[in-house]
Amino acid sequence: MYEEPYRWVEAVGNRRQYLDDQLRQGSPVVALSYAEGTVLLTFSKGTPKLYEIYDRIGLAGMGHPADLEKLRFTLLDMAHMEGFQRSPGDVTGSRLVKYGLAPVIKQAFEEIFRAPFIIKILLAELGAKPEQDHFLTVDYDGAFEETPGWAVLGATPEIQRHMMAYVKSQIPQPPPTLQVSVETALQTWAIGSLHQTQEELKPDEPNKSGPATTVQNDPAFDETKILDHLRDTLSEKTLECAVLERNAPGSSKYRSLSPEETRSLLPTVLQEVR
Amino acid sequence: MGAQGDFLQLLHEHGYKLDFFPSHASGVTDPNLSLITRGTTVLAMKYGDGVLVAGDRRATAGNTVMYDRTDKVLELDRYCVMAIAGVPATAFEMARILEHSFKYFRRSQLQDLSFEGKLRALSNLLKENVPAALAGTGAVAPVFAGFDPQQGCGKIYFYDILGAEFEGVEHAVSGSGSPTIRGILHYLNRWGDRPLATLDEEQAIIIVLRLLTSAAEFDSATGGVNYEANLYPIVKRITDKGVQNISSEQLKDLFATQVAHYV
Repeated sequence: MYEEPYRWVEAVGNRRQYLDDQLRQGSPVVALSYAEGTVLLTFSKGTPKLYEIYDRIGLAGMGHPADLEKLRFTLLDMAHMEGFQRSPGDVTGSRLVKYGLAPVIKQAFEEIFRAPFIIKILLAELGAKPEQDHFLTVDYDGAFEETPGWAVLGATPEIQRHMMAYVKSQIPQPPPTLQVSVETALQTWAIGSLHQTQEELKPDEPNKSGPATTVQNDPAFDETKILDHLRDTLSEKTLECAVLERNAPGSSKYRSLSPEETRSLLPTVLQEVR
Repeated sequence: MGAQGDFLQLLHEHGYKLDFFPSHASGVTDPNLSLITRGTTVLAMKYGDGVLVAGDRRATAGNTVMYDRTDKVLELDRYCVMAIAGVPATAFEMARILEHSFKYFRRSQLQDLSFEGKLRALSNLLKENVPAALAGTGAVAPVFAGFDPQQGCGKIYFYDILGAEFEGVEHAVSGSGSPTIRGILHYLNRWGDRPLATLDEEQAIIIVLRLLTSAAEFDSATGGVNYEANLYPIVKRITDKGVQNISSEQLKDLFATQVAHYV
């Protein structure tokens, strides 16, 4: 039945719907540059979502944990073979995504007799200076985007737009400290998560073709609402935070922060939440 | 796919072979083998804070000095080093494989490879290298030293070219200059002022510098200190803080006051 082109297009369209449904509940991810490195942040329900890929590359994922594991191994194998056979400097996020990850995800997405990856992926790559930090996101259909400074993953493109607009309005120059970045990342996460809840409440009227979102006209941007939401989430889920540190000794720059260290970086009003 | 976290297996799946010299005429020794570059004197010694590992800088091929700036004490990860003696081409390759193996294991399995696991990894590489070692083209006899964060103590191991592993309880040596200093280490530890394991860092560095200077005195394949070029041995300390280099300024100071002009 899929031999006819329009059937194939229809089948791919169905897949989009299926994948959007599957990812609706996923926890957003935020990655930002700060003066001394880059930070990755998300909330999880037990299964970790932030991982080390190579000396200067960290991974964050949203979606099915088994798919994330499979793609994580693809990246690890490619990065380590490349780093060994050429040099660690030749392992870049851009090459991993363009020649490793994106084609695999795209192929699985379009081969309609195979299961697609239920996944969205973010790679953070540490540069020598903040302006050289590099972020890449890959969608479930293999489409990728590269950005300097920051990147986010949200359940839908619309939610991602809200999150991006918020980060953009918050990033100070010169690049902030880790503590300030963690606060911005938390708020961005909350904005994504609040929008997600809203969309869940009215899934039939997705606001996909409105005017470009700005922080001013974003109804989710209400400090009290954000704080309340973060307070609730902190008591229910695990806050996961990892950094790539520019000045870390040795070649491996990735480090996941311990729960105590993460807590000490939270804004004072949130530190008491248990 | 390396779901077991085994980097060597991943290399094999990609067609890589450590034993890279193509033919081994077993039992036949090629007279030209003496022209293959070889490493020289390395040692590891426990002291008060952990382990000191040191090596001279010379690489030779027969009577030719190939290079006088070799670094034979190779950092494998934050907590352990491999000091190499033997054919550098193979030894550097082994160090690179190990460095990647430890990282690959940690990143894929989400836990550090245990100290014993690291020792086993080196043994496996040496075992795989046996044909080249026996043919004379790839013999390596390394010293492995590190700090075991789980047990909170420094540890030293040394290997023969076939991969047998021995623990050096107080110290270990390898390379052509090692017979000279092995006896001195034993003597100092047994009848010196204090056992080596109780020395402070400066005293331990002084001993290491004197030992390497003695090795260079009696072994032409071991390089001594070269003042003009400001070339000192590589000395690294391994403690609970990880592997750190002893700066060449400190070595220069101690060498001038405690080794060169000491009566």
